[in-house]
Amino acid sequence: MYIHSSSFDLQGERKSMYKQSENSFFKRGEKTSPISVILVTSGSRGNKLLFRYPFQRVADCTSSLTTKQRSPYALNTTGDVLEDPDGDSREQTPLTDQQLVAGFSDIILATILATKSDMCGKKFELKIDNVRFVGHPTLLQHPHTIQVSKTDPSPKREMPTMILFSVVFALRANADPSVISCMHNLSRRIAIALQHEERRCQYLTREAKLMLAVQDEVTNMTETDGSPQSPFRQILPKCKLARDLKEAYDSLCTTGVVRLHINNWLEVSFCLPHKIHRVGGNHVPPEALERSLKAIRPYHALLLLDSEKALLAQLPLDCSPALVRLIKTCSAVKNLQQLAQDADLNLLQIFQIAAHLVYWGKAIIVYPLCENNVYMLSPHANISLYSPLAEAFGQQFPGHDLPSMLAKFSLPLSLSEFRNPLDASVQEAQLIQMVVWMLQRRLLIQLHTYVCLLVPPSEEEPGLLRDEELPLVARVGGRSLSTPSALSFGSPTSSDDMTLTSPSMDNSSAELLPGGDSPLNRRMTETLLASLTEHERQVILNIPAAQSPEDLRMFARLLHYFRGHHHLEEIMYNENMRRSQLKTLFDKFRSVLVVTNHEDPVISLFQSPLE
Amino acid sequence: MGMSRIECIFFSEFHPTLGPKITYQVPEEYISRELFDTVQVYIITKPELQNKLITVTAMGKKLIGCPVCIEHKKYSRNALLFNLGLVCDARTKTCALEPIVKKLSGYLTTLELESGFISNEESKQKLLPIMSTLLEELNATGACTLPIDESNTINLKLIEQRRDPLIVQEYDVPVFTQCKDHFIKSQWDLTTQQILAYIDGFRHIQKISAEADVELNLVRIAVQNLLYYGVVTLVSIFQYSNVYCTTPTVQSLIDDRSIQEECLNYVTKKGQKRACLRDVFQLYCGLTPGTTVRDLCSRYSQQLQRVDERRLIQYGLMKALIRRLQKYPVKVTRDERSRPPRLYTGCHSYDEICCKTGRLRRL
Repeated sequence: MYIHSSSFDLQGERKSMYKQSENSFFKRGEKTSPISVILVTSGSRGNKLLFRYPFQRVADCTSSLTTKQRSPYALNTTGDVLEDPDGDSREQTPLTDQQLVAGFSDIILATILATKSDMCGKKFELKIDNVRFVGHPTLLQHPHTIQVSKTDPSPKREMPTMILFSVVFALRANADPSVISCMHNLSRRIAIALQHEERRCQYLTREAKLMLAVQDEVTNMTETDGSPQSPFRQILPKCKLARDLKEAYDSLCTTGVVRLHINNWLEVSFCLPHKIHRVGGNHVPPEALERSLKAIRPYHALLLLDSEKALLAQLPLDCSPALVRLIKTCSAVKNLQQLAQDADLNLLQIFQIAAHLVYWGKAIIVYPLCENNVYMLSPHANISLYSPLAEAFGQQFPGHDLPSMLAKFSLPLSLSEFRNPLDASVQEAQLIQMVVWMLQRRLLIQLHTYVCLLVPPSEEEPGLLRDEELPLVARVGGRSLSTPSALSFGSPTSSDDMTLTSPSMDNSSAELLPGGDSPLNRRMTETLLASLTEHERQVILNIPAAQSPEDLRMFARLLHYFRGHHHLEEIMYNENMRRSQLKTLFDKFRSVLVVTNHEDPVISLFQSPLE
Repeated sequence: MGMSRIECIFFSEFHPTLGPKITYQVPEEYISRELFDTVQVYIITKPELQNKLITVTAMGKKLIGCPVCIEHKKYSRNALLFNLGLVCDARTKTCALEPIVKKLSGYLTTLELESGFISNEESKQKLLPIMSTLLEELNATGACTLPIDESNTINLKLIEQRRDPLIVQEYDVPVFTQCKDHFIKSQWDLTTQQILAYIDGFRHIQKISAEADVELNLVRIAVQNLLYYGVVTLVSIFQYSNVYCTTPTVQSLIDDRSIQEECLNYVTKKGQKRACLRDVFQLYCGLTPGTTVRDLCSRYSQQLQRVDERRLIQYGLMKALIRRLQKYPVKVTRDERSRPPRLYTGCHSYDEICCKTGRLRRL
């Protein structure tokens, strides 16, 4: 039995075929996981490192006590460096991630990470050899405005004041810039929450006191006993903030979804798209994700990646009711416009919620399921006999195996061909469920038909492209079809001025009066054809089908779609036409049209990462 | 050069009475007092951070430096601390500049140890013209060769960082992305020189190894090296039974004038008039799953009059206008006693199995 799978640019295929099932989470996440999380402050008591995670094990600490200052850095310093005077050695360092940062003592970290106050409120980025530190130092109070109340008669105790703090993430130096800015984002969010809590009830000061007290205690114990301890291990059970930071670190390294409750009060949630959106072993860069989301259209559908129940269980108690309604009403066969009607929300809200769900990896955008949809194996599908997907499929659909199903989609197959009308309806329903299952796991891509106008060249100068003969796309000005440009990320619903009128009004070209070859209609057709060159017009008019004024009118009306960027379903939706009408038209004018099938580049992002 | 434009080169040291300061900077006054105050802890650093490449971003600028400390009784305070660094705009990618900074710190250390170049006030002044020349030449050409004194010369070159190349398999076919004759063959290593003649965009690695009489793994490494420098790219073996299909990128043939020109020049049969865009586009669009190249040739024979189908496929693969559909045999049913499949697991394509086992297509 053979499966015909597509092999895309060998790069992506190689990685997905051979690495997907074998690598552990941690190995794969190396470049997108932080190495360490560090909390530093600066105040009247100087610069202090309050907490860091992961902390050194006791074994490492022993060496630091026996040989003075330099030894923890013995791993990092001159030994490595001298062998490589050109400084162009790459990843071959034998140091593990932990050792990279463990080499920095608490004191030096406090010095370099607790910045001066003028670096506050901005992104902080520091790279030292193979480690990159990123954070968002935040001022707690302006250093010059510490009030001294003269009227207060009570004796003033010397309260150590904290001026600024910073939650810093250490990453590998070669981390993707988008990962770095995501980490910075998280650092900023935590900082905002902490700043708020500090102002409200001095939360941070209290936690800092606890942490420093434990550190002092442990240092004293070490001096008297001589047995090394890690203070941070003792801090964990006592300080909620320390536990929060540890949780953030652990979540970032595994699932990429962080949910903290600072002081059991403020929620900080964050997701690392690089961990969530992984296709075939590569991550989808956030910018590409955002671009794709801005291009979704009302005729697309939202496909949830989890079951409805599971998804609803994950939502916080105070989530928006619109979100809940949407999740309950959405389905793979409904397009977004229908969803808006069914859930009783306006289209803009639907777009925003859909984008939000996609960003958090809870849903993907597909074309609504219907009989005429043509599916084929994704170039990045893992078709290995022993993949975890095959196992899961076997459990979900007993009696069927994944490779056999996938083999059916080796060549493009429409849903109607896939189903067998002679089967019992239960079996039919199961087949649809299987397709949905495969779509959710990005095993299938959908192929659409695209059309391009290319007129045979004239006889005078065959084979030469004169300047006037630029293809249609260069000449026909962009007709912008309504796009949801109001989507922005990371910020609450900002721009509301999106006018999503009924698409057929917005996008169909002329108000064509029905019936007959009226002068008005003829005029319309002429105008539309005016954007073509003389030669092109001649060729088109010479086609036998062009003799029928209605056909010619339809052709002229749809002319601007024939650039190869709008697929059949889109034309159907925008122009309110039936598939058979369009197909007949394409057939009649086939001497000037070139038709091809491929996936929709806008949503194919969810099946294959951009190279 | 390219993205890494150096805005300023500075020399900073720890003055025995004044503390950390910028002794020289080219161009002058580029680093403000404020900026230096903010970042000085990263420039003249504590002992733990010495000899480390430190890049700090502040106030819209990126400073890259490598602090050096030379301890000796002869210095006031028993140590000489200095740092020769570069300043760029905060958005610049500075990975390529790091080796340069490291090298410079190494040079200065050597000079100081050999002849007290920096501690001597007179010779220190020579730094300023050196820094100016460095700035100019590195920005202009990305390389700089500068003799300092009779025994020392600074040689610097900005090396472009490239992505790690793929592993090259035996069934891959390397094809040159530029004209072969552009390369001075004698600059390449011996292995590469030996196989160069056999890289024609149609021979796969195994075949090249056999015909050039070079061991397979050596060929793979040599081609991987060529891949790293972007000289070749990899496509799959051409057979008339191959199946391809179009990708969304095929539209770029219509949208992009330069790709059109390049394509039409590439695929036209030698000695014929240039093929027309319509024919070529129709041919690409005629490639669908379920259509072999043989089918294409018989269906579109008229369009193929002026087009070489092998080069058509080659170009399409190189530019990702089309992609190849590979077959993966999977052994689904087996009885209890047979061994689990080794090659028929869905991880190995037909091409690979044929290459590895040396058997013909029809398994």
